Amino acid sequence: MKKPMLAAVFWALLIAFFAWDWAVSAPVNQRLEPPLIAAGSGQAPSGGHCASTF
Amino acid sequence: MAAFFLALVWFVSMRQAVLFLVGVGMGGVLAGARFGFTTGWRRLIEQRDPRGVMAQLFLMALAAAVSMPLLAAFPHDLGAALGPPSISLIVGAFVFGAAMQMADGCGSGTLYKAGLGIPLNMAILPVFALGSFLGSAQLEQWLTLGAVAPVGLVGRFGPWEALGLTCLGLAILGAAARLWCGKAKPWFDRRLFIGAVLLAILAVLNLAIAGQPWGVVYGFGLWVAKIAVATGAFDPAANPFWSQPVNLTTLSQSVFLDVTSITNIGILAGALWIAAGQASTSASASLTARQWTVGIIAGFLLGYSSRLAFGCNIGAMVSGISTGSVHGWIWVPLAFCGSVLGLRIRRHFGY
Repeated sequence: MKKPMLAAVFWALLIAFFAWDWAVSAPVNQRLEPPLIAAGSGQAPSGGHCASTF
Repeated sequence: MAAFFLALVWFVSMRQAVLFLVGVGMGGVLAGARFGFTTGWRRLIEQRDPRGVMAQLFLMALAAAVSMPLLAAFPHDLGAALGPPSISLIVGAFVFGAAMQMADGCGSGTLYKAGLGIPLNMAILPVFALGSFLGSAQLEQWLTLGAVAPVGLVGRFGPWEALGLTCLGLAILGAAARLWCGKAKPWFDRRLFIGAVLLAILAVLNLAIAGQPWGVVYGFGLWVAKIAVATGAFDPAANPFWSQPVNLTTLSQSVFLDVTSITNIGILAGALWIAAGQASTSASASLTARQWTVGIIAGFLLGYSSRLAFGCNIGAMVSGISTGSVHGWIWVPLAFCGSVLGLRIRRHFGY
């Protein structure tokens, strides 16, 4: 496959995945919006990280 | 890119939009400065050129100098990249080090090179993600082989003592690199050191905004886990890792709410931006079918092993060491030994 074609397929698949994910995931509850800056917010970090075992 | 930023502000959250910009900066710096972790190690081993590795050590020292006091000042709000010293870490780091030389890209390297449009890295990204998912799904079995609780230097010794120990360790690595290369070899590269400063700033911003250090591979595993759950191929409730509340929550939400995914998307976009600004890219040498096969297998191993190792060069090495996790210090020598083997395999297949 030519490089521009491969790049087009790559980005098309990626965008399609994000569009599908947005459509099937639970709607964003903006009342629960996380603080802009975690440091000093008083809230514990809540995301997953590759270094954690959970 | 601006439209996506505004969409994140409007439909998701301001934090995620800002983290996207942080990711764009990371991608721009990685691609613009050609700040390759894999290449730096390869040049150190094969050409006795320490410039790339010196810039990496400088990046970790700078990030640690800000991250460690921040972690001590906000112990409730910010978390370090703490992974458990374990059998899985030893195996995973070694395999990751070998695979990153065969695949010509580590965690961040695969992302930015895919964003630049390099064919092998674009093809590797999906299998990297698949490996990352399978590694996370089997993590519990690996942990039963032997693991101890994570050790954080900041919590154990305090921020300044932890920073002193970290800088001492980095200085020893730098001295060893100079000894290996010879004192006559130049160790300073202005472009790479500017890249290191910018990446350190962005890594600290990631920590302060997201509350957790920069990571890459969790996001990849999440993307495949979502597809596996949606197709009925995987039941997260029956899996020790994915049944944890934090992972069930991220599985139910849009990936745009996941901090690792949003910086990954930013890195891809930042690298694409750099590629668009280049008038003409030099044609990369085409690979043989055998080289493609080896590269794809290595890409899968990158994903799988990075989960066993509790991170890649970013999550375990840069973030682990700069936030005081002992697992980062175990990761580096094992991944380096793996790289020595990976370079021999790379030469065997004529890359």
